[in-house]
Amino acid sequence: MDQEQQPESKPTPFYRMIMDDFMLLLFLGVTIYAIFYLLWGVMELSNLPGIPDEIKQNLLK
Amino acid sequence: MFRTCDITGFKVDLQSEKLIRYNAVFAVISLLFAVVAALLLVLTRYQPIHLLGAEWYYRLVTFHGLNALIFWIIFFEIAGLYFGSTVILNTRFCSPKTGWWAFALMVAGLVITNIIILMGKADVMLTSYTPLKAHPLYYLGIILFAVGALIGVILFFGNLMIARREKTYGETMPLVAYGLMTAAIIAVITLATGAIIYIPTFLWSLGLINNIDPAMYKLIWWGLGHSSQQINVAAMVSIWYMTSFLSVGGTSINEKVSRSAFVLYILFICLASAHHLLTDPGVSSAWKVWNTSYAMYLAVLASMIHAFAVPSSFEVAQRKWGYNKGLFQWLSKAPWGNPAFSAIILAVIGFGFIGGTTGVIFGMEQTNIIVHNTIAIPGHFKGTVVIGTTLTFMGITYYLIPLIFRRKIVGFKLAQWQPWLFFIGIALLSIGMIVLGQLGVPRRHWDNTFSGGPFTHNFNPAVDFFWVITLLGGIIAFLATLIWILIVVVSVFWGPKVNGPQDMQLTISPLPPEGKPHKGFEAPGTLVLTFLFLLVFLALFFLNWKWLAATWNVN
Repeated sequence: MDQEQQPESKPTPFYRMIMDDFMLLLFLGVTIYAIFYLLWGVMELSNLPGIPDEIKQNLLK
Repeated sequence: MFRTCDITGFKVDLQSEKLIRYNAVFAVISLLFAVVAALLLVLTRYQPIHLLGAEWYYRLVTFHGLNALIFWIIFFEIAGLYFGSTVILNTRFCSPKTGWWAFALMVAGLVITNIIILMGKADVMLTSYTPLKAHPLYYLGIILFAVGALIGVILFFGNLMIARREKTYGETMPLVAYGLMTAAIIAVITLATGAIIYIPTFLWSLGLINNIDPAMYKLIWWGLGHSSQQINVAAMVSIWYMTSFLSVGGTSINEKVSRSAFVLYILFICLASAHHLLTDPGVSSAWKVWNTSYAMYLAVLASMIHAFAVPSSFEVAQRKWGYNKGLFQWLSKAPWGNPAFSAIILAVIGFGFIGGTTGVIFGMEQTNIIVHNTIAIPGHFKGTVVIGTTLTFMGITYYLIPLIFRRKIVGFKLAQWQPWLFFIGIALLSIGMIVLGQLGVPRRHWDNTFSGGPFTHNFNPAVDFFWVITLLGGIIAFLATLIWILIVVVSVFWGPKVNGPQDMQLTISPLPPEGKPHKGFEAPGTLVLTFLFLLVFLALFFLNWKWLAATWNVN
């Protein structure tokens, strides 16, 4: 009986643990995308200097 | 409540089966809307016919974009996710009632959005870039659809948890389900980004917010717009593996590597959204190059792995069945009479040679400039979403009709021809559009002659020839889609019932016998085809750089 149960108690390899953990993969996927695409992009756009008032007024005429 | 499939032996949750059926039906309805609009659009852009007026042209560009890229694809994917998480994993559906709520929201979204577009209250095209403003119900419709789809994705994860807890599968998730899990994770990223941009835009359309910054809108919108197409890629590749298994008993020659490729998709593929902003001045070159080159190439690597793993799974299985002669007997003796098999092989070829090559070339900051905002870009989409995803979904439907709808395929002879016809049509359409774009023809433009405009432009005379190719391809693809819809509708509603394996028109292959150990490559034919692909890719790559170099005279 004990001998039969032995294969079940074999520890799962670390590689497979990571690969099969869909919550971890979801977290990593969201984080990488959020940092490199979204946050970085939003930061760059937020730091753009505004249009000088003179030009703005001319455009709005 | 379950039934055991007498053909595959799968345990099928009856509630899940119903949800799969209804989502698939609405996918087909959306595709019908999309292709009718597509035909009218191609007949308008072909100048000698120039069918529609400007207003209806832009209205139908919007209508076509939403029905083709959002409704058709996502309804089908939700059906696929339910199939993958319950039937393949041998488990029950976690909450059928919530599944029906999700479905109702998606249908409400489809109906509201389409009505508003056809009423002429949302001529904003799929991208709806601000400050273009549509009726609030347009945005609300999309939000309802997205919420429904997100609930569907959450239910997929719920089913996965049940399957894991109840140990309904072996040591690790089957590769097909793993690919669908990848699609679901990308869907979460996509739909969350959609919420970030569509909710404020909806409030803006109601007058509750004063301004939406156009540059910010474009950045975030493409996180939705492009990533949504990456859900397709993951779902499509999963179906490729599934079809190899069903048709010849093929399995990946290295499942670990195939799984790793799916993980690369999860981690990097959504960053490719940046190539829609390659000519935008607001974001830096560092942001553009990192997101569209260094990071995206890891996702491209994943696609190359699948592009080798899928055909090699066919080849290795075929060789084990005894088709071992020369480099390509496994291919010549393949089950070409099985429309699902031929659809998938054609999708792999079209996706790789047309969609994949142009995707990498157009996605680079330098060579993108040649074709940015030209008709080559939707030409590239035709090589990915249509010849790849749509043809794949069409192909797997030939298995779903007998296995899920329990009906025989009516007009089976026609079904055997349909994938070829669709492939030829879309290949002509796609290549025609890509060449037109390379010759400078703009996209989303009602009048190629620029009549009444402050300036005109004389295109290269070759343009006329490629417009004919584009028109011809569009008409053939339209007819092939109608044939497919007709086969599906007639089979599902009036087809003879399937009472057992004897009624199965498509093969369900057992696993092939273990072959004798041999020296050398496992899949030499696929290796040769891979090198052929790389040669074509290199030639196109070089051609585009040469073209770019010729654009400016540099001394």
